[in-house]
Amino acid sequence: MSAIIENNQLPFSTKFLQFYKDRTLLAILLSLFAVMFIYGIFFTENYLTITNFKAIIRDAALYGIMAIGLTFVTLSGNFFLLSLKETASICGVTFAMGMATGFGSPDLAGNFLVSLLAALAVGVVSGVIQGYFVGMGGNPIVVTLGGAGILYGIGAWWSDNLVINFTRPHDAEWLGTGSFLGLPSITWSFILIAIAAEIVLRHTNFGRKVYLVGANKAAGKATGHENFSMAIIVFTICSVCCAFVAVAFVAQMDSAQSNYFSAEFGSSGDMTILVIATVMVGGNSIMGGYGSTLRTSLGAIFIAMVDNMMVLQGFNSGPRIVGVGLMIVFSIIVFGLFAKGSRAQE
Amino acid sequence: MSTNPILKISKVSRTFGAIQALKEANFEINEGEIMGLVGENGAGKSTLVKIISGFDPGFKGSYQINGKEVKFETPSQAEESGIAIAQQELSLIPNMSVAENIFLTGAKVKKFATLNTLAKMARPYLDEVGLTEVDPTTRINLLSVGEQHLVEVARLISREAKILILDEPTAALGEAESRRILEMVERLAANGKSIIYVSHRLDEIFKITKRITILRDGVSQGIQETKDIDVNKLVEIMLGRELANMFPSKADHISDDPKLEVKELWPDGVLEPVSFSAFKGEILGLSGQLGSGAGEVLASIAGALQSRSGSLTLNGETFLPKSPSHAIKKKIAYCSSDRKKDGLFLGRPIFENLTSPALGAISKYGFNFGSSEDNYSKNLAKEFLIDVKRMHDESGLLSGGNQQKVALGKWLSIKPDVLLVNEPTRGVDVGAKSEIYQRMRELAARGITIIFASTDIQEITYLPDRVITFYRGMMIDEHRLEKIKTPLILKEITDPFNETNL
Repeated sequence: MSAIIENNQLPFSTKFLQFYKDRTLLAILLSLFAVMFIYGIFFTENYLTITNFKAIIRDAALYGIMAIGLTFVTLSGNFFLLSLKETASICGVTFAMGMATGFGSPDLAGNFLVSLLAALAVGVVSGVIQGYFVGMGGNPIVVTLGGAGILYGIGAWWSDNLVINFTRPHDAEWLGTGSFLGLPSITWSFILIAIAAEIVLRHTNFGRKVYLVGANKAAGKATGHENFSMAIIVFTICSVCCAFVAVAFVAQMDSAQSNYFSAEFGSSGDMTILVIATVMVGGNSIMGGYGSTLRTSLGAIFIAMVDNMMVLQGFNSGPRIVGVGLMIVFSIIVFGLFAKGSRAQE
Repeated sequence: MSTNPILKISKVSRTFGAIQALKEANFEINEGEIMGLVGENGAGKSTLVKIISGFDPGFKGSYQINGKEVKFETPSQAEESGIAIAQQELSLIPNMSVAENIFLTGAKVKKFATLNTLAKMARPYLDEVGLTEVDPTTRINLLSVGEQHLVEVARLISREAKILILDEPTAALGEAESRRILEMVERLAANGKSIIYVSHRLDEIFKITKRITILRDGVSQGIQETKDIDVNKLVEIMLGRELANMFPSKADHISDDPKLEVKELWPDGVLEPVSFSAFKGEILGLSGQLGSGAGEVLASIAGALQSRSGSLTLNGETFLPKSPSHAIKKKIAYCSSDRKKDGLFLGRPIFENLTSPALGAISKYGFNFGSSEDNYSKNLAKEFLIDVKRMHDESGLLSGGNQQKVALGKWLSIKPDVLLVNEPTRGVDVGAKSEIYQRMRELAARGITIIFASTDIQEITYLPDRVITFYRGMMIDEHRLEKIKTPLILKEITDPFNETNL
């Protein structure tokens, strides 16, 4: 009885926002898509072609996969993994080392599986170590910035800052440049990882714990879900995603260098900024507990769409980086405004 | 009694949307009088206080000061007419000195004033509120909370307030500090100030007020002369029913079968190791004021607070929980006193909150496809009288009472053997309170051992089958069933060693 009365006591605006919050955010994102799309059709040449759309999704795939990994970190309330590009860098170097030299044993040189597992293992180790320190109570920014320096340094040291080449044909071509049923392998990977991540978040106990711990660490601890193991797992997921992207990118380039992900990558020069932008443009709560990987995937495609259009209109990299920056600012403002209705009450 | 009240409010109504917070309420206060203002949560006390202090101009009705009709648009206008309010949450700046805080607005202060000048100016006001020994140059955060309240009042007096509203000034204070506040209130009244004293602590209301205004559901229930009524009568007017009816009846007898044995438990905040047993199906109350150690004992049984030593014996197993998750595995549930901090996931839906401690029960092989969780959480919600239609709403949108029901109800999901509750009804309205008491009794009847800690003396007297009293980190005494008497418990938790009479 009292519950029913109380429902009526909530101000109408609060109820409205509460009910439509989810849908509103999605609607904003979709209408932005529509606006960009229509603008593209009318004002950009060669926009409305299947090849171009494939290119958009393919662009989105690389940082989209990393952003999906980062979404787990952000949703669980552990803020960001700031060593994204450095993790990718050292994993890329590891993979290229394996492909080129077999880590010193010529029998293994060019063995895709060994190189892949080595790269993923490096990702797991760096994720577990950073997650451990965050789980122990370390500030995620400080821990992962420190991690960034160490990871990048080791990769550069190991590779002597040189470009590690391995020549075609090699066993990783199918992942780097191959395609299946008309779509590039990396696009397939993106789609499959996005679906898997969404299922994990929605329908597993682990996914639920991510949201709960992200919403309130203290309450999570009180109900038996500690952030210690959570931090280790989410940082590992994120680092493994970075490792996978690094492998795909290196397989595409047939070479690796420790600063591949700092300079000549994708639209904006800096991988870390681009991935964080993707998570935020998707409308995930920076404080954790609210959002989804589906939003992140849409965010990735949206950024790729805008970037693609700017490329077709002849902008060079400077203005495109400004574009990404503007998208971050815009998303913070819009999502901040619409999220206020309910979350501000906490 | 003077017939010319300094402040008079008649037939004031205030509506918020569809809700009527005040219905033709009346209020008045004379010069130099202490007027108590009481009512349960949601009765309209804070609305009335806001109207008086000028925070809420959107009301209908008449508001007179010294017989003249006034209309305040802002709090500062009310302040100019000599009305000042000390909120429950202090508005002092912790890093600044006492004197600086008193003259924070800079009125009456020269453009260039040293701290010494300010200190000299502050002295008389501090004396007036009874802070004679406090140096005005001390930083605020070095004072106790009670002293900070006194500084806040000194600040109001410095602005020449004639009518002071004190909103729950003793809510967060222990007995000794509360006494200082009461002394100050009486001194101010003797100096001719009028004081509106808002409090849940009925003993204080009876101690210091001459008259009491009682609000119930936004309607003023007439002004009572304090000397003409007693606590039971007052509560009856406040609640519209008798106090004892709020509580379910106690158990017929206490089983002799100890369910949980606590041995030599010694958490921080407790002076010496504590041992006691809790029996099957009983409600055991740990009574004590803030800092008595009762809450700490509860938290350490739940693994939320580390204990230096000791062990628990439950179902034949002896262990000491190292973390909440360890205690949960042993079927010990703990509902903390601060549900916003670590009791609820406010931004998440209610059903997720309800199933949060027992994710294993709603999933298979770690996967969860909704339907079993739906049923599970709905059953829990029904048991605790939570509206099933709101299951997908964020729990942060619920009222305090319903939030508390969710915070408690979620622990049924682990099918606990022992349910620990710290402050079961803090910030909860009376309706939800009685529902919660009822549920606790039913759970106990089902065989769950319930231990709760509370600073609410009514709750401690009427709810439990046994009471253990705590005072300053020490266990004092134990009482059973009908031997639980308010005056005795009050004595044991405030002054067990007769220190005040020395």
